[in-house]
Amino acid sequence: MKVSLGRFATFSLVVLCVAAAGAAVAAAHTSRSAADIRNGGTLTIGLAEEPDALDPTLARTFVGRIVFLSMCEKLYDLDSHLNIVPQLATALPQVSADKLTYTIKLRKGVKFNDGTAFNAAAVKQTLERDLTLKGSVRASEISPIKTVDAPNATTVVLHLSSPYSPLTAQLADRAGMILSPKALNSGGTFAQSPVCVGPFMFKDRVAGDHITVVKSPYYYNKAKVHLASIVYKIMTDPSSRTQALRAGDIQVEDRIQSTDVPTLQKDKSVSVPKAVTIGYQGLTINIGNKNGLLKPYSNVGTDIAKSQFIRSAFDAALDRTTINKVVFGGLNQPDCYPIAPVSPWYKPTTKGLACNLHANVDLAKKLVKASGISSPTVSLMLGGTDPVNARLGQVIQSMEAAVGIKVSVSPTEFTTALNRADAGNFDAFAVGWSGRVDPDGNIYGFVATKGTLNDSGYTDSKLDYILNGARKSISTKSRDTLYRAAMQIIHRQRPLIYLYHPVNYYGVSKKVAGVQIYGDGLIRAAFAGYTK
Amino acid sequence: MGGFLLRKAGAALIVVFVSSVVVFAGVRALPGDPAIALGGENRDPAVVQAIRHAYGLDQPLPVQYVKWIGRALRGDLGLDARQLPVAHTIVSRIPITLELAILAVLIGSLIGILAGIVAAVRRGKMADHAATTSALVGLSLPHFWLGLMMIVLFAVDLHWLPASGYVSFHAHPLANLEHMLMPAVVLGTGLSAVLMRQTRSAMLTSMSADYVRTARAKGLAEWSVVGKHALRNSLITVTTVIGLQLGALISGAVITEQIFVIPGFGRLTLEAINQRDYTLLQGVVLVAATGYVVVNLLVDVVYSVLNPRIRVSGSTTT
Repeated sequence: MKVSLGRFATFSLVVLCVAAAGAAVAAAHTSRSAADIRNGGTLTIGLAEEPDALDPTLARTFVGRIVFLSMCEKLYDLDSHLNIVPQLATALPQVSADKLTYTIKLRKGVKFNDGTAFNAAAVKQTLERDLTLKGSVRASEISPIKTVDAPNATTVVLHLSSPYSPLTAQLADRAGMILSPKALNSGGTFAQSPVCVGPFMFKDRVAGDHITVVKSPYYYNKAKVHLASIVYKIMTDPSSRTQALRAGDIQVEDRIQSTDVPTLQKDKSVSVPKAVTIGYQGLTINIGNKNGLLKPYSNVGTDIAKSQFIRSAFDAALDRTTINKVVFGGLNQPDCYPIAPVSPWYKPTTKGLACNLHANVDLAKKLVKASGISSPTVSLMLGGTDPVNARLGQVIQSMEAAVGIKVSVSPTEFTTALNRADAGNFDAFAVGWSGRVDPDGNIYGFVATKGTLNDSGYTDSKLDYILNGARKSISTKSRDTLYRAAMQIIHRQRPLIYLYHPVNYYGVSKKVAGVQIYGDGLIRAAFAGYTK
Repeated sequence: MGGFLLRKAGAALIVVFVSSVVVFAGVRALPGDPAIALGGENRDPAVVQAIRHAYGLDQPLPVQYVKWIGRALRGDLGLDARQLPVAHTIVSRIPITLELAILAVLIGSLIGILAGIVAAVRRGKMADHAATTSALVGLSLPHFWLGLMMIVLFAVDLHWLPASGYVSFHAHPLANLEHMLMPAVVLGTGLSAVLMRQTRSAMLTSMSADYVRTARAKGLAEWSVVGKHALRNSLITVTTVIGLQLGALISGAVITEQIFVIPGFGRLTLEAINQRDYTLLQGVVLVAATGYVVVNLLVDVVYSVLNPRIRVSGSTTT
């Protein structure tokens, strides 16, 4: 299943163009100088969902991360190219030769939004809370941390039980948000009045309606903060969100629904930046999930599970470009990998690997024949009962029919589908992943034998060895090589078939400058403001 | 009277208890594991187990029920997935939906009754046809469509009113009315259509009655005949319809609240279902069920005061 060099070159060119366009969009929203922005005013952002608990230790939702960005800074952050950069730390961590000790230097003179000092003791308390609090969602993300030391006010030392190179990336997300010890020790529920270090501080939350944050007088770089406050409005109806943006009730719209994109692109009062996200949508193939997630794996015996040829044929029959056009109006980014083109890891880890954006029917038919299975059948479970999922199922069904694979489509309510996936009650499951900055977060959990999201029930000692090696390795170059090797195995065995990377579209009033959207899909508005 | 009240209150308590069991069991009958739904993408078994433990979902159902109902009796409905107290959230949402329903009744009554009067007085003429056709259109229009059209016209194109959101009356009375006007009109449209038809029908009956003919024979002005004699009697039927429609308005407010992003009780229910937030959903449905029981109890009491035969017959039948 190889593609011609020309096709690969075309694909690479498309990817480069999209990446360049994305960068241009980001630049368009960051290029105005601070002199063009006036101080004051309230920015209202219409969120597509409601954040859950405003407690970084317990928070699980994507939109919650958007709110945290304005009021809870992290030890590390991402730049516009998704590279990890220091935020509350002063530099990337110093890692010991045995890769078991991380030393992090902290900024001096920083205060929490209750006026108390930010220091190493606070970092220690937060990380220990993340590891031990009942219901902590962060515990598994930083589980290799054995102990945390704070030898002085500006130095934190993390002692690991085993080498874990994705740790810095975890500290660039919610696990790296440091909470005020005063707020934690007050005895109240932290989520009801969260206090961190940030350009804005929590003011109020009306459940189901809005969250308000106001400019912090304690922030170490408050000269960069222009807005007086930000209101995050919960607007789950996409049409209402778009109309509110056009009416001027909100200035930033989170994730525009695809049918509204052309309307907003014609509206001269708003701009429509887009972000090719680091997430992906794919098909999980049940190979060995016979007894349930993380239970002993053995082949489930279906046509697609028992034959690698059928899985490869299934992939070859897919025309990713057509799927994107027919199902998503051409708005997404067809691809074959779990790492997105916007990631700095993309090029080195996919170099030289084949990706068929168009169907190869002849090859698929040959593979079906080679499998020895005369009329293979596959039951495809869709993670939703909406029209888009239905269209996706129908398109895949017709593409596979062309090569002799009979697909039956089973639209399933999302939570029920997840239950069925974990129980191993499926052949193939169309499901997505929002993506992580570090490649480990997009690969390990899904295909490693001990991966906590390995619904495929895939187990391969060589792949495990490679992925564990990538976790232990600190060198970017060696990790590139290891992930490329892992991708070769995944492409050969196909426990997952990747289809595309979602592209999110946002609406931003032209009265506002400085709103930034990177590949992680989060709206960064802390340093935005109204134009003069 | 005391015995009657005690019997009714006892029956109401039994209904509330049964409702609580049905609510508890019904919420758990929803498909899908709530711990997985709450966990979002992160289905790490350790995380899912931690969520299950945090919400008490790892305990036997009777234990979960007893703990929940025990706390509920003390006014504590627990913390929702946002770590916010459910009781406080519900209490803050109910007045918003009530305000919306009352404004819708006012708007619907004003338009519906006036149109009904005009249609009856001008029976068979252009005004009657216009009012009847408008009522048919008003009944047929889906709330979500009408709401979006109004937003496009009055908020996006004309910039007269805000497209969505809510401002409390205490914080800013004028802004509150600006935000509530379109939703109230949308919600009131269906009611006005119903009231128009009821008023027209009742007015036509009244205007052919003997007492109206007598009033005209006495030489009273037409406005006095219509307003003081025909309308007053017609309003008895219309008032009954308004009362019956109020409950429907409160439940019908779900869609209107969703379109206009009003944080009312209906939207809260929808969110709780969508997010599989068991604690919140249980609280919302329990409060709604208890509310209906209490209102029914009050109605029984008022009826018994107005008509003593009810409580007498009630006592003889037991």
